[in-house]
Amino acid sequence: MSGRPDHRTQQAALFAGVFACLVACGTLFAQAAGFTTSAVEFTAAETARILQHGPWPMAWSPDPSNRVSGKPGAIAFGEALFLDPRLSGNGKVSCATCHLPERLFADGKARGEGFVQLDRNTPGLLNVRLNRWFAWDGAADSLWSQSIRPIVDKREMAASTTHVGTLVRREAALSARYREVFGEAPAEDDRVTVNVGKALAAYQETLVSGRTAFDEFRDAVARGDRAAADRYPAAAQRGLKIFAGKGNCGFCHFGPNFSNGEFGDIGIPFFAAPGRVDPGRHEGIRKLQASRATLLGAYSDDPARTTATGTRHVTLEHRNWGEFRVPGLRNVAGTAPYMHNGHLATLQDVVRHYSALNEDRLHADGEKILKPLGLSEAEAADLVAFLESLGGRP
Amino acid sequence: MRAGVLAAALLLPAVAAAQDCSPVLPGGTQLESARYSLGYRAVPGKPAVGKHFSLEIAVCPKPGTAAPESVRVDAHMPEHRHGMNYKAQVVAASGGRYKADGLMFHMPGRWEFIFDVRSSGRTDRLTQSFVLE
Repeated sequence: MSGRPDHRTQQAALFAGVFACLVACGTLFAQAAGFTTSAVEFTAAETARILQHGPWPMAWSPDPSNRVSGKPGAIAFGEALFLDPRLSGNGKVSCATCHLPERLFADGKARGEGFVQLDRNTPGLLNVRLNRWFAWDGAADSLWSQSIRPIVDKREMAASTTHVGTLVRREAALSARYREVFGEAPAEDDRVTVNVGKALAAYQETLVSGRTAFDEFRDAVARGDRAAADRYPAAAQRGLKIFAGKGNCGFCHFGPNFSNGEFGDIGIPFFAAPGRVDPGRHEGIRKLQASRATLLGAYSDDPARTTATGTRHVTLEHRNWGEFRVPGLRNVAGTAPYMHNGHLATLQDVVRHYSALNEDRLHADGEKILKPLGLSEAEAADLVAFLESLGGRP
Repeated sequence: MRAGVLAAALLLPAVAAAQDCSPVLPGGTQLESARYSLGYRAVPGKPAVGKHFSLEIAVCPKPGTAAPESVRVDAHMPEHRHGMNYKAQVVAASGGRYKADGLMFHMPGRWEFIFDVRSSGRTDRLTQSFVLE
């Protein structure tokens, strides 16, 4: 007999399920009333979604997989390492070469440039600690693991664990700072490199963006303060209504950091070069599963592996081809160009992309809710005004 | 007569299992198929978008039905036509209880739990639809 299911849930259970859904929906709408400003009337559902984008900033807690997370000595050491070009193979490229502090830790280029031009855009690092997966393909499951990857990538900083281990042990000042944070540097190059990654992560965890005009509006809605809410520009309010309403942007750009932390195919061409495809998340999962520097591996400092659930259960699907990480939207106005390959130059281009989405470019087995938004020029301008209200001018 | 005794003997474990097994989990949801009653509840609490959670599951065979040989759990978004990005792992405990780990809903919207209970070469599929906000 085949393994196909041959019984459906009984009718009574289906009625119960529908009833439960109706009750749940009813409860939701009872809990979240609509909110009206002088400019815009937000429905109850839109209001509930708006409230989910805060409060900001989020509470901080140390990364259990990184024993130096939150420690001042590690943060200071990590900042010094971030700026130190000696970590690279030729001694000329640092993390800050691409992640420029004055540009919100991005570089303003379509594609990053290390030793060669890369396939992907350099993401900003503000709020990076909130990611579940790191890099556009999510090949790393921790910030410390991700911090090692560019150092040893021959296209980016072109060093090696041997180079890092030798540098830390031989350079007196570097060796002393390492010792203050981690103790004596061991002979094992991989261990030293992982610890360098952990210090770099400790520093990057401190890169948190400030409150924005949107946050003031969101908190005014939360406390029912219409006068304060009215101070949020009308165009941004109208754009927010599109974002939280018919745009359904919050399906992926969810929560206080405006990202669900997962991956999607949004119809951006994923040819890295003629005849060469960037597999995106598909390759990212394969790299993750081949890596020793994961939350399940020996380098994690969390014996209980409390944050490793995603790594343990992530599954490789065909639809992961051409998927890329959903970026957070805070400071988005300051991190142009956009998308995994810098394909879109401006926020106007991004909104235009979603407004006139080419469904033929979407995977056959991908997300089915992406439809062209068909925005008018005025609506597109409003949506841009909202995105700009999320901060980001360097 | 002998055949009747043999059949009764074969049914005894299932009957005993059915008597010992309760599909009711406090605060949980109960589903029915032709052969099984299934209860489940999320732990540590109501699922939230982007947060991993587990399910406690109780599967009780109805009279004359064998205990499950396997229980699987999955979830999908029918309108979006995709499932979760994570594969749940189900571990059996005693008394018809199971624990499923590693689930996560990565979007708000309508999801559907799918429970596949397999025994005797057949699979009972029990589903429950709900809206996650």
